[in-house]
Formats: sequence, C-alpha cells, structure tokens
Amino acid sequence: MAPPRRSRRPRTTLLLLVLAAVTIITLDARGGLHVVTSGVRSVAADAFSPVRSGVNAIVEPIGSFLAGAVHYGAVREQNQKYLAEIDQLKMQDRSAADQAESLRQLSALLHLTYLGNLQSVPAQVTNFGTSDFAATIDINVGRSDGVQLSMPVVGNGGLVGQVVEVSHHTATVRLITDGQSAVGTRYGPPPGSLAVLNGTGSGKPLSADLVPANTPLAVGQVFITSGLQGALFPAGIPVARVVASRTGDTASQESVILQPEADLPHLRYVSVVLWGPSG
Amino acid sequence: MTRGELARISLVVLLFVVVQETVMLDIRIGGVHPDIMVLLPIVAGIIGGPSRGAGIGFSTGLVSDLFLPTPFGLSALVGCLIGFGVGMATIALDRTAWWLAPLAALGASALYEVTYGALGSVLGQPQMLHVALARIVVVVSVTNALLAIPAMRLVKWGMAEASTEGMPTSDAGVGAAR
Repeated sequence: MAPPRRSRRPRTTLLLLVLAAVTIITLDARGGLHVVTSGVRSVAADAFSPVRSGVNAIVEPIGSFLAGAVHYGAVREQNQKYLAEIDQLKMQDRSAADQAESLRQLSALLHLTYLGNLQSVPAQVTNFGTSDFAATIDINVGRSDGVQLSMPVVGNGGLVGQVVEVSHHTATVRLITDGQSAVGTRYGPPPGSLAVLNGTGSGKPLSADLVPANTPLAVGQVFITSGLQGALFPAGIPVARVVASRTGDTASQESVILQPEADLPHLRYVSVVLWGPSG
Repeated sequence: MTRGELARISLVVLLFVVVQETVMLDIRIGGVHPDIMVLLPIVAGIIGGPSRGAGIGFSTGLVSDLFLPTPFGLSALVGCLIGFGVGMATIALDRTAWWLAPLAALGASALYEVTYGALGSVLGQPQMLHVALARIVVVVSVTNALLAIPAMRLVKWGMAEASTEGMPTSDAGVGAAR
C-alpha cells in the first residue's frame, strides 16, 4: 500500500500569505505603503476610540477586579502598609488626594518654563502601551487639536517622547525609554557638550552616546535637549539626570546611566508641543 | 468560507479585539499585559487545520497591527506561521482532547512571542529583543493556556466546520468527522 500523500495546498497557502506579509512589511518600512497603513491605523483608532470608551465604562470594574486578583500579593502587602498608616490616612479623602495629584500635574503643565513661547496642547493619557514590545502611551488629542507626527511631548518634569501615530482625536507617543528613541542633548556649562540619549526599554534607564571617556559627570547632572539644526526636539527641555557613570579600562566613551526627568510610569497629563523640526 | 461563517468569525475577531484593547490592556502582570489575539491563529489551527490556521493568523494579525506601534504586517507574518505550525503539529492528534488547546496555547504562544521579537529585530527594530522577553513569554503563554478552552468554543462557533487540508489524503475523512 502506498504511503499517505500530504496535500500541497496548505504549504502553497502559507507561502502566499508569508509573501503577502513580507511585501506589506517591506512597503510599509520603505515608505511606499506607509501613508496607506498610517491612514488605516488612524481610521481604526478613530473608529475604535468611542468603542473603547464605552466598553471601558462597562468592563473597567471587571478589569480592576482581575487586576486585583493577579496582583493579590502586592495588593495584600499594600493593604498592610495602609493599615499601618491608617491613623495618618483616615483624615485624608482619597479621591481628593487623587484629584490633587491630577491638579498638581495639570498645574505643572501650565508652568513649563522651559517651553518659552512655544505653544502646547494639554492631553490626558488614555493607555499605557498597546504592545509589550514597545514603550508607548496613547493620548486623547489628535489632528483636530493641531497635533502632528513627530511633535515633542512633555510633562511631569521633562521630555516624555514624540508623537509617532496620529488620528483625528487620538495620538500615540513613543516614550524616550523606548529602544527606538534617540534624543540629541547637551550637558555641562553653556554652551555644553553634546550627547545622544538612547532608550533601552520600558521602565529602564537611558544610556548616553558620545560622552568622551573620563568626562567628569556629577550624579544628578541634567541633560537637556540640544535643539541643533534639524533636531527632533526644541532646545532646553530637561530629558534625564545622571544616576551613575564610569569609564572602562579600554573604553573610548563614558558609560552613563540616566533616569528620565519625567515621571513616566505615573503620567496622567502631558503637553504636546506644537513644534516641528522645520518650525 | 461561506458568508455566514465569515460574519461569525468576524464577530469573534471583533470580540477578541475589544477585550484585548480594553480589559487586557488594563491588566499588567510584572509590567506585561496578556495578548489574547495570539490565541486566534492557535485555536484556528487546531480546529481548521494548517490552511485555516494560516489564513486566520494572517487576517487577525493585520487587525492587531492596526493597534500596535510595531511594524505593520509583523503580527500577520508571525500569525500565519504560528497558525500553520499549530495546524500541522496537531494533525495526527485527537483534536477533541480537552488538554490539546491549553497545551498548544502554552507552547505556541511562547513560540509566537519569541518569533515576534526575533523577526522584529531582523526587520530593523533591534529594541524588540531588548525587552523582558522571558516575562512576556511566561505571562502571555500562561494566560492564553488558561483562556484556551473558552477561546476554542468561540472560534469553533465562528468556523462552520473543521478543514481537512494538510492532512494525509487517506485520513481526510476522519479529520472532517471530528
């Protein structure tokens, strides 16, 4: 009896689908299709935004319950901490404290001295990253508010990131901690030396490029955006401060670890700076 | 695929997207959120075989890509590979066994995340390997294994009948009857 013969159709199907996917990725990366994919993403974000808001309003209690269940250990530990501090906390209204924090962040946005005369649009953070492979946030302003691709985003102490996707009413911001982020900065007494700060992943510190070996850097020294011609960010925005630095025996560069100035894990409100490299 | 089947599977995909973009994004386990979109090609591969698995993986991947900041088409590429792989790997197994979906979801979700990071890195996004990959793999695999059985029921409802494609031609009738 002849051995069973496998159909070739699934492999042909797979080959065609792989080819289609690779073609889409290539065209998108080379720019030919990017306008289309960006447009489709924008339409999807606009269409899904009200659905997300509506469903969130219904299922948020369920999500909070599940989040509480999976963080049981941490929640229990936190509860014990709260119990220990109950005397101090009982006089405080927690919702008032929450509002005070929101107010503090909003007030801080109104006094961004480093922006000078640059105009900005305040925005609320609606999502912390849709992918585990990228450090991004979603905000509730978009093209209708004057937001455009590549605009800088600041808040909660310093530079937050850059707009990488924009739809009519929402936008996605790539945080400075994302591995794809690179910010041109200067440090030291004016006019300062130049360095590039690179993201190393969500929740991780930044690393610095172009800092010569044996450069004296004090812990806490702040790096600010350089604003050189063609730079992605206007000059003078605080980006990060030095946590540690050292020079290896044979290294030509100083190894510098920096903490973002903006409190990225606790962002609630940010400002989109209405500024582009040409403007 | 009939119109009815297309409508049903579209509804299932929409439900998965809504749950992913609302409930799942609010759940963070060690800084990582579950990814139930990965489940679709896996269970489609089990139920419908390699061709259906690849097709569903490609189309649901494109839908996922609409909401992700990573390269457009990457989820579609990995989705069709995983759907096809699961379909091929489960051909000779009893697809009605209750443990098959959770086990396949555990292994294939892990493979999906590793492949996703690796291919993203190859395609010019090296930072995609500089993430907490082990944590992502564990969180996504375990949550998908736990959700595999209800996902199987939903996708079974969405897909009218199991495909026999990719199965040995002498076994085709057996697969269809399951």
